[in-house]
Amino acid sequence: MTLQTILSELTRCFGTTFSLFLLTLVGSLPLGLLIALGRMSKNGLVSGITRIYISIMRGTPLMLQLWIVFFGLPKLLPDIVTGNWRYIAAVIAFVINYAAYFAEIYRSGIESIPRGQYEAADVLGYGKVQTFFKIILPQVIKIVLPSITNEVITLVKDTSLCYAIGVVEMFTRAKQIATLNGTLTSFVVAGVIYYIFNYVVDWVMLRFEKKLSYYKA
Amino acid sequence: MKKFIAMILALVMVFALCACGNNGDGNDTKKEAGVVTADDLKEGFTLKVGFDPEFPPFGYLAADGSYDGFDLALAKEVCNRLGWGFEAVPINWDAKTEELKAGNVNCLWNGFTYTGREDQFTWSDPYYENEIVMVVKADSGITSFADLAGKKVMAQADSSAVTALNRSKLKDTIGEVVELGDYQMGFMELDQGSVDAVAVDIGVAISQMNKTGNEDAYVILNEKLSPEQYAIGFLLGNEALRDAVSAELKNMADDGTMLKIAQSSDYVQQGLVVDSLCMISK
Amino acid sequence: MILEMNNIKKSFGELEVLKDISFNVSEGEVVSIIGPSGSGKSTLLRCATFLETADSGEIKYLGETAAKTGADGKMKYVSAGELKKFKNYFGLVFQSFNLFPHFSVIKNVTDAPINVQKRSKSEVMDDAKAILSKMGLEQKADSYPCQLSGGQQQRVAIARALAMKPDVLFFDEPTSALDPELTGEVLKVIKQLAEERMTMVIVTHEMAFARAVSDRVIFMDGGVIVEQGDPEEVFGAPKMERTKQFLKHYGQ
Repeated sequence: MTLQTILSELTRCFGTTFSLFLLTLVGSLPLGLLIALGRMSKNGLVSGITRIYISIMRGTPLMLQLWIVFFGLPKLLPDIVTGNWRYIAAVIAFVINYAAYFAEIYRSGIESIPRGQYEAADVLGYGKVQTFFKIILPQVIKIVLPSITNEVITLVKDTSLCYAIGVVEMFTRAKQIATLNGTLTSFVVAGVIYYIFNYVVDWVMLRFEKKLSYYKA
Repeated sequence: MKKFIAMILALVMVFALCACGNNGDGNDTKKEAGVVTADDLKEGFTLKVGFDPEFPPFGYLAADGSYDGFDLALAKEVCNRLGWGFEAVPINWDAKTEELKAGNVNCLWNGFTYTGREDQFTWSDPYYENEIVMVVKADSGITSFADLAGKKVMAQADSSAVTALNRSKLKDTIGEVVELGDYQMGFMELDQGSVDAVAVDIGVAISQMNKTGNEDAYVILNEKLSPEQYAIGFLLGNEALRDAVSAELKNMADDGTMLKIAQSSDYVQQGLVVDSLCMISK
Repeated sequence: MILEMNNIKKSFGELEVLKDISFNVSEGEVVSIIGPSGSGKSTLLRCATFLETADSGEIKYLGETAAKTGADGKMKYVSAGELKKFKNYFGLVFQSFNLFPHFSVIKNVTDAPINVQKRSKSEVMDDAKAILSKMGLEQKADSYPCQLSGGQQQRVAIARALAMKPDVLFFDEPTSALDPELTGEVLKVIKQLAEERMTMVIVTHEMAFARAVSDRVIFMDGGVIVEQGDPEEVFGAPKMERTKQFLKHYGQ
């Protein structure tokens, strides 16, 4: 393959990498918040279940989770398998895995908010939901943003694990091209694309951090 | 302590969920997702061929970005003749059994070694006789199996080369079998000296050596590991499908189509050894 | 009567912090509560503002009962929804300000009136600007809390409480977290409010200030009200031995 075809093949497959990346964030960022709230719940059952969930998700390899979702879930729900199941399974596995990591990040952020913030909101008559979304969450986001950035960059690289269940994203394609060409060119090109993408991600996240730097806690 | 037990239980549950796929007893055919009956095999049936896109000449990514390979070409022709649809499904070769059991693919057709795995799948007749050879650097001084004593030998993880190595006496003398994901990596390691030899199917060996543009840098040892045969693997109990495919493949061997496909310069370039076709009467 | 608290008891585990305290505040009255740390004065304030739930007794605002010991001997509060109404009756200024750091000064002051009390935005904004300029903070409306000194932050906190138009304003040691040179500006503002006959309850260690500004002084120790009355009487001629000792300790 010529460099030009390598480039066009890899950028095409980067679409899969990118959509996987985006869908994972869209799913896991809110789900992580929900799990964090469950983890901090006063209800022992809810906090216990979420604690076990987080522990398993963080304590087992993502590749294993990909397998379990892709091969295991259809055994419980046979109708779940559609033409696109490979890709959907990858998205599900990534979302539930990253949600666990995000949940712990959120939790540490939420727990670092001083009690006085809740008390001030309470005395002013804010309800629980209002207090959380108006007073607490915006401060939490500022606190956790650097840790989130870390995870997001890891996610970009983790997408390559999808080859385990036969999803052809950019890295898998690079390997296939390397087999064809017998050279490392495709890996170098893929590496450059990963780097550029992570550079952009880093830049975007830094913009968010800057935007929130108008105050100090 | 209670919490710890709960955690362990939850873990076990998750793994059980995964593992129940492996309990599928071969005789319990009607429950398996991947089994197709004779009724299914009318026109309009689609054969989903599981293959490893990093295993030329049998399956690989072609220069135009499409999937190609000798086995894929055979499969496509079989489907044409039977009036079936054809779908090439690139899979992670490590997950091939699970893919078959889940019904994501109907067969594994990709230079798939029959020898030594007789009981694990329902097999077509073998169509290719493969030799596992040992590739070393020309300047390494290794000229025979005896010289491999204490050396590191690379083979693709979960591949027939590993099986062949394990069956041979060589296993007792060599230092270590290094199992890697694919042969591309194996040859890179050979170049940089982190392994001393690569145990590999002869076709793959030829194609890898061709690609370097410096074939003289490598030597294929004269001694060979025991030969093995390639066949198409189906889920245990999938006889109806196996019979249909196997019969048509035999027709193609008899009427010269198989040979014609094998002689395509693309595949020969990628290391296909025409003499190895064993379904064709010579 | 703005606030009536009758026979309030509160324990934290084994520790009885409030032992049957009764305490009223009438309209326009400025009450100071003094006493050593751990005497229960902050807990009393936190019970009055529902940050702590009392174990027994009765709490009434403007004659309406917010909580009362039932026939079973357990304290029964009105529903959370109704309690919201009661929270309109009072404001609380914390020792550590507790401003919302991500809100500008003006948003700190106006957000609850607009989004909790649902008052009209323009009216609230006009009010807030007037209050801020009274606090000497009209220049700081668009600043963030982190850009202000402690004294300025506490004045914003007072403005935030005032913007809710409370019937009574509680202060929980409003100058304790401030550097000595910054307490003056906060005390001046509270004094100004006292002159305007704002009903206030002030827990404080500033004895001279309490003496100057209050209509009534309460001395608490060990979870009970030891002595209360006109500031000149309590500070000038305390009747109880414990009061005398406490005031001596504070150099009075």
